[in-house]
Amino acid sequence: MDWHYFKRRLMNQVGQALALMATLFTLFWLVWLLTTLISQGWQALDLSMFVKDTPAPGAEGGMRNAIVGSLMMCLAGVAIGAPVGVLAATWLAEYGRGTWLASAIRFVNDILLSTPSIIIGIFIYGLVVVNTGGFSGWAGALALAMIILPVVVRTSEDMMLLVPDQMREAAAALGAQRWRLIIDVVYRAARRGMVTGILLGFARISGETAPLLFTALNNQFLSTDMGNVMANLPMMIFQYAMSPYSNWQELAWAGALLITLTILAINLVLRLFWREPKKGH
Amino acid sequence: MIQMNVKKAVQEAPTRTKLKVENLGFYYDNFQALHDINLELAENRVTAFIGASGCGKSTLLRTFNRIYSLYPEQRATGQILLDGENILDKKQDINRLRAKVGIVFQKPTPFPMSIFDNVAYGVRLYEKLPRGILEERVEEALRKAALWDEVKDILKQSGTQLSGGQQQRLCIARALAVEPDVLLLDEPTSALDPISTLRIEELIDDLKERLTILIVTHNMQQAARISDDTVFMHQGRVVEKAPTNILFTNPENKQTEDYITGRYG
Amino acid sequence: MTDEYKLHISKRFNRDLVALVNQLLQMGGLVEQQLKIATDALLNSDTELAKEAKVLEDKVDEFDVMLGESCTHMLVLRQPAASDLRMTLAINKCVSDLERIGDEANKIASMAITLAAEEESTDGYVEVRHISQQVMSMLHDVLNAFTRQDVSMALAVKSRDEQVDMEYRSAMRTLITFMMEEPRKISRVLNIIWVLRALERIGDHACNIAEQVVYMVEGSDIRHATKEEIKALFNQLSDTDIKPE
Repeated sequence: MDWHYFKRRLMNQVGQALALMATLFTLFWLVWLLTTLISQGWQALDLSMFVKDTPAPGAEGGMRNAIVGSLMMCLAGVAIGAPVGVLAATWLAEYGRGTWLASAIRFVNDILLSTPSIIIGIFIYGLVVVNTGGFSGWAGALALAMIILPVVVRTSEDMMLLVPDQMREAAAALGAQRWRLIIDVVYRAARRGMVTGILLGFARISGETAPLLFTALNNQFLSTDMGNVMANLPMMIFQYAMSPYSNWQELAWAGALLITLTILAINLVLRLFWREPKKGH
Repeated sequence: MIQMNVKKAVQEAPTRTKLKVENLGFYYDNFQALHDINLELAENRVTAFIGASGCGKSTLLRTFNRIYSLYPEQRATGQILLDGENILDKKQDINRLRAKVGIVFQKPTPFPMSIFDNVAYGVRLYEKLPRGILEERVEEALRKAALWDEVKDILKQSGTQLSGGQQQRLCIARALAVEPDVLLLDEPTSALDPISTLRIEELIDDLKERLTILIVTHNMQQAARISDDTVFMHQGRVVEKAPTNILFTNPENKQTEDYITGRYG
Repeated sequence: MTDEYKLHISKRFNRDLVALVNQLLQMGGLVEQQLKIATDALLNSDTELAKEAKVLEDKVDEFDVMLGESCTHMLVLRQPAASDLRMTLAINKCVSDLERIGDEANKIASMAITLAAEEESTDGYVEVRHISQQVMSMLHDVLNAFTRQDVSMALAVKSRDEQVDMEYRSAMRTLITFMMEEPRKISRVLNIIWVLRALERIGDHACNIAEQVVYMVEGSDIRHATKEEIKALFNQLSDTDIKPE
């Protein structure tokens, strides 16, 4: 057989083998992580988790307060971060395109995107907690908003830039003003990607611990008062996992599993339902 | 080349002038893309613009509805008179102008909404019509675009699910729904298969009874097939404008000749 | 613009066009030869030579078919435009004119055989020699005009046809007078008249080719133009020193 041809085939096979090994290596850790989480957290994860609050050491309990707190702060974070992010992205993609200001904002946004979350936590601590005189759910939500913001800006801008200019021109050519064509055409066309970005951002902030440590802190009891300290899942996991009590450790495993399943569920929903639909609306 | 008074093919008398371009120049920032364009385009005729890539034919087309004004770095100088009115005038209501001058692009650009909403989009921007009348307008536009029979049962489906040729006819229907006087076609069939191309060409032939049509095309045979007049452009200038059958059998200019016969220019 | 047609970006296009032109010129050469041989055979009462001319006729017909196909292929496969289109169309028409000239030459060769079989007589041969020389030079010149894409040369050929027509008419008068004087030679003289008629037709075909040269180069159709119009074009050409772009 021709030597060059043989060599090429060999290289191809070696390359494929290496790529496959790398994939298996990654999958191996992921599977290990999931099996550990499930085996450790599964027994603890029952209905009582959702109806009882965090217990004293050795006592029976759940994590209702943490779930409610996490959910409220995350939703508030998204509610603050997503609209601001989408509007910023709109400016970047539609109005500021090509200007130096847009480049500057994009650069700063990228820095914010890669800022360690603990720094955001400290920043909000200094800005809000210190000035309002205490830890609060709002401060937590604000910190989470600051984390989701650059994610939304980035994904939304990218998605809007993916909408071909000719689509904008086509709408403008029919006589649509700028703002109308952005809402009618650009948002519509980029909608799927933008929502995906926001949900992935939501998934990301649902597991953030560090910023909450400095802002919402924790709460042993159920509270829906965002003006005060608030329980949340990451803090609970952090605190309980380090404790010597086995029922707390079990709760921590269950919490970790819950967060992971939530993220998994969001990803699955995106995969299954946010694809190009077979039928238009 | 020597001109002779011997009877050339007798041309039907051109109709009224619809568009008159006077000393038009066009700039992308500091780059001048069009130089001193002077043209008269007759009503109810198909005028094809041919020329190599970058000769400015698309740029010229895009001045007729001022679509370039979406981009702040682009500007035009000179005059374009549509029915005697200078459309480059700052006072011209740009959205009104665009309702009069429709455009269809190279790649089909159906909006991400239903077929019905696509066609109704332009109409809704200007007119609050009762549902029944709006439906009639949509149907009429789809019929003119020779798409009605294919989509009448699936009007609620997304426009993006149609085939390429259907999408392009949808875009034409969308442009027709606002009842324009002039239709600009920027390489409307270059992304389509030959059969869809023929459908669109057939459509152009029907539409010219009601409209003045300007088409940019890279396909010279297409220009020859569908246009009444042909404009050959080179490096931002109009080199020659002539009735299509004359331009393709006996062009006056050497550059035109070299281009249409495929010679080294 | 003589060699303009060889400057296409597509080399195959150039090759095809060059081949087409060469085929036509070959056919022209063949027809010229055939006409020369047929006339010589007639004037020298040489039956063998006349048969040679008839053999050439088959070759001319082959060219006719081949060029017809080549033109069709050119139109279908290359979709030529402007000067290329005119060249193809002109060649297509020239081919049929050349083929007809071949037919006429063939007729002359047949007459040569018939006449050679009869008794010696050279009545009317002066006229035949004279007109045939004129017609042959017209054919020669028009083929040159084609090769050189020379419009003024082509127009000159066209104007010479009048001369031929005039001489044809006067030869007819002479021969008719002759027939009236010597009725027993009528059938022989009639054959000569057929020959003259064929030569006159060849002159017309040469003119048609000249018109095609003008169409090919200038894009103007002068087939039905008046004399004044053609004169105007001719003057224009000499004014501009025959320098078409």
